[in-house]
Amino acid sequence: MTLVVARAVALTVALQAAAAQGDANMDKVQALLARPPVLCGQFDQSKTMVGLRRPVKSAGRFCIVAEKGVLWTTVTPFPSTLRLTRDEIIESQGDKVTKRLSASQEPAVRIINDLLFSVMAGELKRLMSAFAVDATVDGKSWRAKLDPRESGMKTVIAGIELNGGEYVKHITIREASGDRTDITFSGVVTGVQALLPAESQAFEPAKPRATPPGGDAR
Amino acid sequence: MPGDRAPRWLAAAWLAVVVVALLYNGYVWGVQRRTPETDFLALLPQGENDPAVARAVSRVADAAQQYVVVLAGSTDWSQARAAGAAFTKIINRHPDWFNSGAAAALNQDSALAPWWAHRSALLTAADRRALQTNAPDAWARSAMQNLLSPLGTGRIGAWQDDPFGLFRNWLQERGGETPVRPTDGVLRVDDGDLHYVVLPVRLRGQAFSFLAQRAMAPILDSAMLAARQSAPGVKVMAAGIVLPAADAARQADQEMSTIGLGSLIGIVLMTWLALQSLRPIGLVLMSIGVGTVGALAVTALLFAKVHLITLVFGAGLVGVAADYGLSFLSNRGRVDRSSWTVMCESLPGLALSVATTVVAFLGLALTPFPGLQQMAVFAAVGLIFAWVTVVVWFPVLDRAPGDESRLASWFGGTRAHWPTLQFNRRTGIAAAGVAAIIGIGIARLTPNDDIRLLQNLPPGMMEEQSEVGRILQIASVAQFYVVRAESETALLAREETLRAQLDSLATTGALTGYHAVSAWVPSQAAQARDQQLVRERLYQPRGALDQLRTALGESPSWGRSLTKASATAPLTVSDWLGSPVSEPLRHLWLGPTSGEWASVIAPKGIDYDKLAALRGAAAATPGVTWTDKVAEISALLGRYRSRMAWVIGLSYAVIWLVLLPRYGKRAWRVLAPSVVASLASLAVFGWLGLPLQLFHVLALLIIFGSGVDYAIFLMERPLAADTWLGVGLAAVSTLLSFGLLALSSTPLLRAFGSTMLLGITISVLSAPYFCTGRDAARTAPAA
Repeated sequence: MTLVVARAVALTVALQAAAAQGDANMDKVQALLARPPVLCGQFDQSKTMVGLRRPVKSAGRFCIVAEKGVLWTTVTPFPSTLRLTRDEIIESQGDKVTKRLSASQEPAVRIINDLLFSVMAGELKRLMSAFAVDATVDGKSWRAKLDPRESGMKTVIAGIELNGGEYVKHITIREASGDRTDITFSGVVTGVQALLPAESQAFEPAKPRATPPGGDAR
Repeated sequence: MPGDRAPRWLAAAWLAVVVVALLYNGYVWGVQRRTPETDFLALLPQGENDPAVARAVSRVADAAQQYVVVLAGSTDWSQARAAGAAFTKIINRHPDWFNSGAAAALNQDSALAPWWAHRSALLTAADRRALQTNAPDAWARSAMQNLLSPLGTGRIGAWQDDPFGLFRNWLQERGGETPVRPTDGVLRVDDGDLHYVVLPVRLRGQAFSFLAQRAMAPILDSAMLAARQSAPGVKVMAAGIVLPAADAARQADQEMSTIGLGSLIGIVLMTWLALQSLRPIGLVLMSIGVGTVGALAVTALLFAKVHLITLVFGAGLVGVAADYGLSFLSNRGRVDRSSWTVMCESLPGLALSVATTVVAFLGLALTPFPGLQQMAVFAAVGLIFAWVTVVVWFPVLDRAPGDESRLASWFGGTRAHWPTLQFNRRTGIAAAGVAAIIGIGIARLTPNDDIRLLQNLPPGMMEEQSEVGRILQIASVAQFYVVRAESETALLAREETLRAQLDSLATTGALTGYHAVSAWVPSQAAQARDQQLVRERLYQPRGALDQLRTALGESPSWGRSLTKASATAPLTVSDWLGSPVSEPLRHLWLGPTSGEWASVIAPKGIDYDKLAALRGAAAATPGVTWTDKVAEISALLGRYRSRMAWVIGLSYAVIWLVLLPRYGKRAWRVLAPSVVASLASLAVFGWLGLPLQLFHVLALLIIFGSGVDYAIFLMERPLAADTWLGVGLAAVSTLLSFGLLALSSTPLLRAFGSTMLLGITISVLSAPYFCTGRDAARTAPAA
């Protein structure tokens, strides 16, 4: 579960580029970054795994909605959706939920969300406690290197690198096992209109079933 | 015929006996270093004490009493961590008492290595079901989905070693046994908006020893205070079974010093006012002291293990011996005769009174309960020792008393005007009325032996304990299953049978989960079955593994190692015991016990309204015993209570027979004060709606002993003012030493004390009413 936490942290960190902090450059990166309430775009992911000859590639759309969570919609090689909300991690294929992990089953989910939302709120101190951040700024672009501080995290994550400008452009996650994940973001759109109808629905709380006739007093 | 002077050789001989008893005590408690037995199971009758259950109970209790868990919580995680650090800083200053903190982050890879090696034989129930139903392509697809997820995959080994995530799921299920997660180098648990740092503190040494508690409690308090003060709004809570014990000890300490001091001052004052000398009280205390020394020595000689309950109650019963000393000292009065002559005159009464009481106490020895047997021996021997001390030493040590005090002469004089029993119409009506009031009161009496009634935790402590237990999902230490079988793997299989039932009970809310060794080490049969299932459903040609390989574009040799890894020897309990992951749960494994293997399954989150369902699960599975310590202790108290009540009833009958030769038709008058006093105090509790407990009944036994003593003394010298004075002094001193316990805030002592207060008062006030002398008896044979 540590890995899941670490990954979720890394992802959120990366997407919001909040990792660029810890020294004087942190403020500059903060200033460069736009922090819109809604942010969507395309991603291209390549995973290089120990024991696999070829990298495993995937692509799709992602959205981050402040206070709500993250939606990760893989389109190729086959459609699947990953949703991180306040108390849950939900994986689905089409309408079928293939995996659901709630905070009540796995407390780490809450820890992911805690970090996720604190990052979104700009509470950067919490990341500082888990990672040593080394950021460099060059004009309008920046890059940052995150090294896990704590030995538990170190057994999972070897390091995270990110770079970008107004938004994060690229993330590389190196795992202690030797696996490596590269994610490139493109076509970023912000604002409520960035969400596709299906995506905005995904963040709505499940609507209660229609009240039986006469059940509604009004 | 006795001479005028007390025989010195008798006193010297008794001194020798007392010295031997003292030396023997010194040897037993000082050299052998025996400690009183505190295990309640030792109080069960022989044969009812199941060794496996006994072992399970002590293992579980030992494991629990070694820990105190402190939670420091805040809505701000960094503040919670700061509070935790402040706490740990203080605890770490006392390495001689505490072992703080979870062990340094354990190396997961090496700790879980045995399970990783056996991963092909470990399945969650959900995966087992899915393997039985889902098609191979669904498995291949879900493996791909996991691979593509940006959240990552496994945690041990490479992805390709567990591509279907079976081991990851299994590990996650194990992780689900506790809500605590290592985070930022500390342990964390969340509850609602609050984030807590979990601070387990391991206590060194005997956590239940008084000394240890006295040393540890203030350190814990100051560490918790430091945590609270580290940031505003930090919530700090503690739980651990030592805490209520430490608090009870603290409270008992305080009460000892207030009630105890009050009682001592009262007794000294009373003696001074009545006898104008403190010598008598010194002598009486000495006689009780010698009684206790003798009782301790003989009990230790007869019983290998002396139970704590014996010491506590036995000492109380020996207190009845104060009657003998005070009776003699008052009889000695101002009469201008030698002490020894007075003693020889008092001897029949004194002998009768000790005989009756000893007979009553020995009745307890006829019950099958070891606790009552020990108490009986202790009390009887104690009384005899104290009695002999009075008879042999008092005449030697006694000095001629000073002038009679005004209080004493006034009190002695009241005897002459005391109302006495008259057989007439008025008495009949009054008796009927009293009998009705008592009868209704007793009819309203309901016994309640729930051990929890005896607990007396300060407000908030109980809530805090259960709150911490809820947040951490701590397994019950009082209720659990003991599982037995003829071999290790049969035991694990039996656990699996029970767990299947518990899993379905969990869906009804009777419990939220459980800790079981077989969750970590499935039985050999289960391992073989799961391995076979995985092989059949995933590794067959053109199965899920083949499809996955094709999707990944790997060579035909990819994934071979998975199918090979399936052929390992089964995982065993010793693998689990050898790994640091078992550390918090090792006490569940009892291993081989007297020819069989035993283990504990500890349920969590029990719904106490559904305990019957949990008990039922044990009844439905052979080799499984449900153990409910709370219920068992309560039931045990109830059995002791009813046995003791029977013994008291029987004792009255036997004593009546003993008294018959001396008092004839008037023998009932000796018993009347105690009977009336006992019934009236019971009626008062009935009217007040207080539950009847063992400790009330125990007090009734002392009331019986003392009440009969008073009655015999008064019968022997019906109109003597000094005898009445002696009885009065004995009663007041008993009231001061036991009755004051009615003021205690400890429910057990309060129950005992209030019974004594009522019973002794009624018996002493009614004694002169009934006991109007044995003149009739004396004259009867002559007539």
